[in-house]
Amino acid sequence: MQRRDFLKASLAASAVALGTSASAGVTGQPIDSRKVSKIAFPEKRPLITYSDRPPLLETPRDSFTKAITPNDEFFVRWHMPEIPTHIDPETYTIKINGLVNQELSISLNELKKDFEQVEVTAVLQCGGNSRSAYKPIAGGIQWGSGAMGCAKWKGVRLSDILNRAGLKKGAHWIGFNGSETAAYYETPNFVREMRIDELDDHVIVAYEMNGEDLPYLNGYPVRLVIPGHYSDSWVKMLSNITVTAEYESLFFMDVAYRVPDNDCECETPDNKFKATKPITTMNVKSVIGYPTNDTVVYHNSHVVVRGVAFDDGHGIKDVVISVDGGKTWKTAILDKDAGRYAFRAFRFAFKPTKYGKVSIMAKAINRLGAEQPFAQDIKWNHGGYKYNGIDVVTMEVV
Amino acid sequence: MMKKIVLIAVLSFTSAFAQVEEPVEVPFIPYEIKMGKGFDAIQANCLMCHSFGYIINQGRQSKDFWNKKVLKMVIHFKAPISKEDVEITTDYLFEHYGNGELK
Repeated sequence: MQRRDFLKASLAASAVALGTSASAGVTGQPIDSRKVSKIAFPEKRPLITYSDRPPLLETPRDSFTKAITPNDEFFVRWHMPEIPTHIDPETYTIKINGLVNQELSISLNELKKDFEQVEVTAVLQCGGNSRSAYKPIAGGIQWGSGAMGCAKWKGVRLSDILNRAGLKKGAHWIGFNGSETAAYYETPNFVREMRIDELDDHVIVAYEMNGEDLPYLNGYPVRLVIPGHYSDSWVKMLSNITVTAEYESLFFMDVAYRVPDNDCECETPDNKFKATKPITTMNVKSVIGYPTNDTVVYHNSHVVVRGVAFDDGHGIKDVVISVDGGKTWKTAILDKDAGRYAFRAFRFAFKPTKYGKVSIMAKAINRLGAEQPFAQDIKWNHGGYKYNGIDVVTMEVV
Repeated sequence: MMKKIVLIAVLSFTSAFAQVEEPVEVPFIPYEIKMGKGFDAIQANCLMCHSFGYIINQGRQSKDFWNKKVLKMVIHFKAPISKEDVEITTDYLFEHYGNGELK
């Protein structure tokens, strides 16, 4: 038994001893012991692999020393079993229809030539990233910390496309449909809807990721990029944009990706909160890329802790580090700012003075003053969404 | 100079094509799933839409959780799972991937 498991087990044991119900779980650190698979998916290096159909791949922690996540390390999350495995860029089109003056069918070449080209560096994070931190186990894939990444996306403003089509009076909602399909005809498509007033000029239809074509598994040839928002609405292989007056009731809107609609966004398994709301924008978070829980260093080594921090676009003000269990905190050096939606890389030099296990904690604070809570202070929600606990890695000093 | 021009020409020519020209192939991963009573129903009803990995990576869950998951497949995803198989698959999932709690 590893020490962390032992701690978890003893926590559980003490919960029983105190007579508390299993429903009052204590949020911990996300699972961090998973290894990358031996099997590499197309255009990817071997990643942590939860499912092949649909593909669900997680980026290992040690990638998060970099402010830009390389395309071949970038996480993958699909919802439907059938995803196109071949797309002809010469014939692919994105259709714009519904409450518009002129329906459009835009080819990739037109997208690249007939519109202003823009770039944004933005974090893409699954709403269920770090879900494995929740106790009792929340439903869904038990992601560690790597259902996230940051890339420089290039494409065309959604607003420019909508302006070209011309919105009719009464247009309030936009539905986005990707090219993935279900095994059964009756299964609802993966369609996302957003209110027109939620969409600002930062939202783009992107065809390039870090200067390359999007990898197939990240939505080749085009995907929606909604900086600051969780990835559930960043529709991949975007094929259709439909403008409507009314919200259409859809499974992936009404049931999935929702949290309790109360101040703490929390509930207990025995007493679920009835009203829910979409997860929408991201909270402030940081992840340490080095050291990892596997790191062993010699006594008196000069260790440079590295990681990334981000929020929903207010920007990171500080990242603070503790090596004494959260009693005292010191400010890390922030790397250059690549824009308010980007990973902000941080580093912190320190020299361990004692032997054995040394835990390093990182806490990000954004420009509004919002900061990451301790993991144990994060309250449960049924979907295991929006975990942003202070990150902890424990290395060994020998 | 000529070499440079040729190189640029080649680069701009290839950039009109996709990074991957062949169809991609998503690999098959043989997830180890427990054998036992009800496994046939799992194979018949679940694999059509998703891998075993999707099941076993949900973590250990209550009987109520598994029952609701199976019903979600029927109600929301329209999987044609018979009433009998809903019960059989729920029992299988709880037996092998359960946490011992009914609720």
